[in-house]
Amino acid sequence: MKQQQLPAFRLQLSANEILSGFFAIGLFCLGMGIILLLSAKSIREVEINYTEKCATCAKLREDATNFDKECNCSISFYLPQKMEGNVYLYYKLYGFYQNLYRYILSRSNIQLVGTDVKDVRNCAPFKTSDNGLPIAPCGAIANSMFNDTIVLLYNFNSSTHIRVPMVRTETAWWTDKYVKFQNPTFQNLSSAFAGTAKPPNWPKPVYELDEKDPGNNGFVNDDFIVWMRTAAFPNFKKLYRRLHRIGNFTEGLPAGSYSFIINYNFPVGRFQGQKAVVLSTLTWSGGSSLFLALAYLVTGAVTLLASFSMMAVHLKLKERKTFFLQ
Amino acid sequence: MPNGPGRSQALRMSLPGRPRIRASVGPVRPPPGYKKADDEMSRATSVGDQLDAPARTIYLNQPHLNKFCDNQISTAKYSVVTFLPRFLYEQIRRAANAFFLFIALLQQIPDVSPTGRYTTLVPLIIILTIAGIKEIVEDFKRHKADNAVNKKKTIDFGIQFVLRRKPCPFQVAVGDIVKVVNGQYLPADVVLLSSSEPQAMCYVETANLDGETNLKIRQGLSHTADMQTREVLMKLSGTIECEGPNRHLYDFTGNLNLDGKSPVALGPDQILLRGTQLRNTQWSFGIVVYTGHDTKLMQNSTKAPLKRSNVEKVTNVQILVLFGILLVMALVSSVGALYWNGSQGGKNWYIKKMDATSDNFGYNLLTFIILYNNLIPISLLVTLEVVKYTQALFINWDTDMYYLGNDTPAMARTSNLNEELGQLCNDSVSLSGSHFPELTREPSSDDFSRIPPPPSDSCDFDDPRLLKNIEDHHPTAPCIQEFLTLLAVCHTVVPERDGDSIVYQASSPDEAALVKGARKLGFVFTARTPYSVIIEADNVIFERLSKDSKYMEETLCHLEYFATEGLRTLCVAYADLTERDYEEWLKVYQEASTILKDRTQRLEECYEIIEKNLLLLGATAIEDRLQAGVPETIATLLKAEIKIWVLTGDKQETAINIGYSCRLVSQNMALILLKEDSLDATRAAITQHCADLGSLLGKENDAALIIDGHTLKYALSFEVRRSFLDLALSCKAVICCRVSPLQKSEIVDVVKKRVKAITLAIGDGANDVGMIQTAHVGVGISGNEGMQATNNSDYAIAQDGCACSTCSLYPPPGISSLSEDAGTLSLTWHVRLTVEIGIGSVYMRIPLLKRIQFSYLEKLLLVHGAWSYNRVTKCILYCFYKNVVLYIIELWFAFVNGFSGQILFERWCIGLYNVIFTALPPFTLGIFERSCSQESMLRFPQLYKVTQNAEGFNTRVFWGHCINALVHSLILFWFPMKALEHDTVLANGHATDYLFVGNIVYTFSHLAVWGSMLIWLVFFGIYSTIWPTIPIAPDMKGQDSVKSGATKTREEKTYD
Repeated sequence: MKQQQLPAFRLQLSANEILSGFFAIGLFCLGMGIILLLSAKSIREVEINYTEKCATCAKLREDATNFDKECNCSISFYLPQKMEGNVYLYYKLYGFYQNLYRYILSRSNIQLVGTDVKDVRNCAPFKTSDNGLPIAPCGAIANSMFNDTIVLLYNFNSSTHIRVPMVRTETAWWTDKYVKFQNPTFQNLSSAFAGTAKPPNWPKPVYELDEKDPGNNGFVNDDFIVWMRTAAFPNFKKLYRRLHRIGNFTEGLPAGSYSFIINYNFPVGRFQGQKAVVLSTLTWSGGSSLFLALAYLVTGAVTLLASFSMMAVHLKLKERKTFFLQ
Repeated sequence: MPNGPGRSQALRMSLPGRPRIRASVGPVRPPPGYKKADDEMSRATSVGDQLDAPARTIYLNQPHLNKFCDNQISTAKYSVVTFLPRFLYEQIRRAANAFFLFIALLQQIPDVSPTGRYTTLVPLIIILTIAGIKEIVEDFKRHKADNAVNKKKTIDFGIQFVLRRKPCPFQVAVGDIVKVVNGQYLPADVVLLSSSEPQAMCYVETANLDGETNLKIRQGLSHTADMQTREVLMKLSGTIECEGPNRHLYDFTGNLNLDGKSPVALGPDQILLRGTQLRNTQWSFGIVVYTGHDTKLMQNSTKAPLKRSNVEKVTNVQILVLFGILLVMALVSSVGALYWNGSQGGKNWYIKKMDATSDNFGYNLLTFIILYNNLIPISLLVTLEVVKYTQALFINWDTDMYYLGNDTPAMARTSNLNEELGQLCNDSVSLSGSHFPELTREPSSDDFSRIPPPPSDSCDFDDPRLLKNIEDHHPTAPCIQEFLTLLAVCHTVVPERDGDSIVYQASSPDEAALVKGARKLGFVFTARTPYSVIIEADNVIFERLSKDSKYMEETLCHLEYFATEGLRTLCVAYADLTERDYEEWLKVYQEASTILKDRTQRLEECYEIIEKNLLLLGATAIEDRLQAGVPETIATLLKAEIKIWVLTGDKQETAINIGYSCRLVSQNMALILLKEDSLDATRAAITQHCADLGSLLGKENDAALIIDGHTLKYALSFEVRRSFLDLALSCKAVICCRVSPLQKSEIVDVVKKRVKAITLAIGDGANDVGMIQTAHVGVGISGNEGMQATNNSDYAIAQDGCACSTCSLYPPPGISSLSEDAGTLSLTWHVRLTVEIGIGSVYMRIPLLKRIQFSYLEKLLLVHGAWSYNRVTKCILYCFYKNVVLYIIELWFAFVNGFSGQILFERWCIGLYNVIFTALPPFTLGIFERSCSQESMLRFPQLYKVTQNAEGFNTRVFWGHCINALVHSLILFWFPMKALEHDTVLANGHATDYLFVGNIVYTFSHLAVWGSMLIWLVFFGIYSTIWPTIPIAPDMKGQDSVKSGATKTREEKTYD
């Protein structure tokens, strides 16, 4: 027979259960907030905006015709406390829209995975060079790759400057480095790219990105890969180098005087952007994020407040209920 | 004369001289119940659609000049070939689908779509496939049914063709002469020529047409009655003229013109309709007049007008609103893009060489429309269809609405009005009078034939005193004898011998009850032969009584009493005619009956001639006992603030009495009676009553308005209508008595249009069809009064068909108290009565135990209606909510990506969001959500107000949800954005990209969207828990719990 009574589950939560649930959520959020806050506090981070500080270089780069002129810039700073553990060096761009629709589209994944170096289908408007050769790597993203070089010097004393040892690999995602980006299989990297042109903004072709380390050259260059992973927001930070913990730097960066030597190539003035360099340690939750900690704290506090007021209402109602039942 | 124009049916006899009861050939007028498809009252004739089809002329035994439709029927919507184009056409006609098709086409333009080319097309195809499967399943059923019917016709009909004009082997065509044998179904509409029975009589069962299982008599014309052989029929020549195909089951007018003879009239008595079954007759010959879709059966199965629910309309508006919002968003974004490109674009060297399209406003607009198109939930329509289908199944499956006795479940014949049941507004549930059991004309004749009669079915009208009076040669003995003979003979009941017992096939329960009553008293009616009894409903029997009638005063007095008791009264009278008078009259009658034009009227005049100076024999009263649950259910419905209007054909006293007994009208209510004869008087009366109410007008007063059909005609006229409605709405109860079917639907229509209330009409008879179709929701009672109401309804509920016609003597007032006062007199009251009014008033008690059906209605409205409403609205709101939440995020993202149209989520995450990732939660809400338990809903009808007032779904709630979604999307976007902006959330220090952010947001959206559903559940869990524990002041408590629940919800949502 079709006629039937369907069993129904009715979630019946008592006021006590709801209240305890609310208290639990509130306490959890508070706890999370405190933990996040503490871990954020433990992070040491130094950010130096060098747009203003390298004004002369910036001015030089305003004019595209000066592309072949070198410009270096040195920024000194003092580290009051040592940075313990792994230290990461980031570059940070302000006002650079890596998330523009047509910008993001302008790349060729087929080319980057090494199967067909001449595939430039989706790379408009950077498909081919002026003389008709396909650009490798093609597209707007690759063309606009960040190309400042940043060197950190440790000023041991006024005369001794030690170059802080940095690792330039393993800055990209593993899947990017080993799956999404592959060099075309050729004995010689430069011949693999024969018949292609370098991106117009690049000073040198892709197979000369890191001539010392073949595992970091061509499409699998970490700096290149990191750049190709387009940021979500116009202000973004990208990993540049990691501290090589040897010698003086086994513990991390000791306190003291440092200076950045920057080879200033990347023009930001033209779009009113800014550039910064960031030194940071990390914890289990990544970099310093006061916002998340605060968000948790506020939510926890509000929830607890609500719980208390609801408890008050509940207790009051309970009295009335007994009154009614009498 | 207080009882004069009552609906009392009178049995009138015109007998050809003495002896009075004698078999003779004569016209048989259709029984009263038989004309009910049209109007019972002569003044409100239905607007005929006979004019639609031209009359046809059928040539006998000659080839036809014009082509008539063949006998194949097809009710299916599609065939294999037409399926795809028709289905696609139907689907694309829906605005939402057209919109998505448009988007899918837009995406084919290169470089415009930010989400690829197929991300709309694929979900659209998925959705159309689901809809297509549903259509195929439904159409397959129809095909199967059609095939069964078409095949049956050829093999099982057992038709013998006498003469066929069509070469096709299995089909009958118009003009064919066919022979049908006993037990076979008629293949087409056939004019009866002759049969195996005398005088070309034959019996048919019309259950397929109107659900009535009693046998009906059809009689061929005397002119053709002797054409009983093939040879004779082959020689037949002439024409049949008849009206064009129409849907009036109980009407047929035509003429048979046999060559060399004068034309003879054909009426509904000569026509055997397709689908009826030949019974008790060995064979019969007939000429086919209508075939296939022209037959009355098929004409009647035309689909009822498509009704759309209020919620659906509001939803459509909201889809439009969302579309507007979408356009605004796209415009804003395009303007933003224009601005951004102007101020920034040129300076951004890294995109400098981009092509011009990014600057083109039109291109950008299209891009953004595509980007935001999912703001309109693509899956909404198909989700709703499936949800409502399931809800309809729930209604069908409900054990509480299933009547075991005759295996009738409730039946949702349409599923798109489910939520409307939960919304019946402050105003009108129009109840057809005949819905009330006490007004029911027919007990289940069905039961007489199929189910063995229950013990109580026996007629316990077995008072021996009547008989004793006869035996004792009491002065009233001849009168009583006459009376009982009349009762036994003058009716349309057909006796069917079933072994030793006789089963009466009556088209009216009244008649059956009377015949049974007579049988109990020894007047056994055994066989029907052609007779000359005229039986007719009549209002003015008293006007026609001869002055010589005895006991008139007493009978009147009793009639009045019976009427106030809510009984249906009949007068019994007779007239003696001489042979000569009869012959004379018969001539006039036959002349009148062959007229094509105004035949009814002429016949009426004809009857006038003979029906005068009748001698009153007595009166009968029949009661359908009020079922047990009615007052309670009425009270419940009133508590749920559903206004009940009773629309009944009964007379005023009866109607008021019913009002009292079902507690629609209470003793301390003021009765406003409207009974006027002219427009001016009506207007004056209404104005006067309005003025009396004064400031109370427009509020609900403790008053009942009773208006009769005649006055209603004026009250509904254009100028008075407004104030009449004002007056009616100021009353707690409205009873319209003696209204015609047309007026019933007119009232519903007026209320529907003027008051903007959602109306439900419930009825069981063919006379309720108009009303059922007019109302927002039509409920048919699938009982025994035919399938007409059910077939035209949106929902059908069962009635307890176990009509037990127990007849019992009823002590009239005063006398009964006498018997109580003096024990010794207890047996004498009846004798006194008979002395007083001649033969005594027979009171037949017909308790139609339709107890269940009313509680069915209660459950249908208060539980299923409210639940469906809650479910559907929540499902809709949820669908809107989840889409707004996700896609407004794209707008926020546009603010940080220079309005470039970039998507935050991966394209297939967007494309499949509706059809896969969030497909099930709306179903869960739409199918399983229960705001309150069934017990609570029935116990506190006040809960119905929530759905009734559309508190769950109106513009405010919709915007509330949109704003809620907006806030949530803000949180969902800006929180992760702030948290991820520094780009180092990975423990290995790696930087993240836009899709990383997108995926986080997407995940959180899902958490929020699913979470909010969880919170709904939690919220209603609380609601229904707190409720029953506090039985006092449920309203206030409910509010409290709602409020606290709401704050909780808000808090939790903030957390999300």
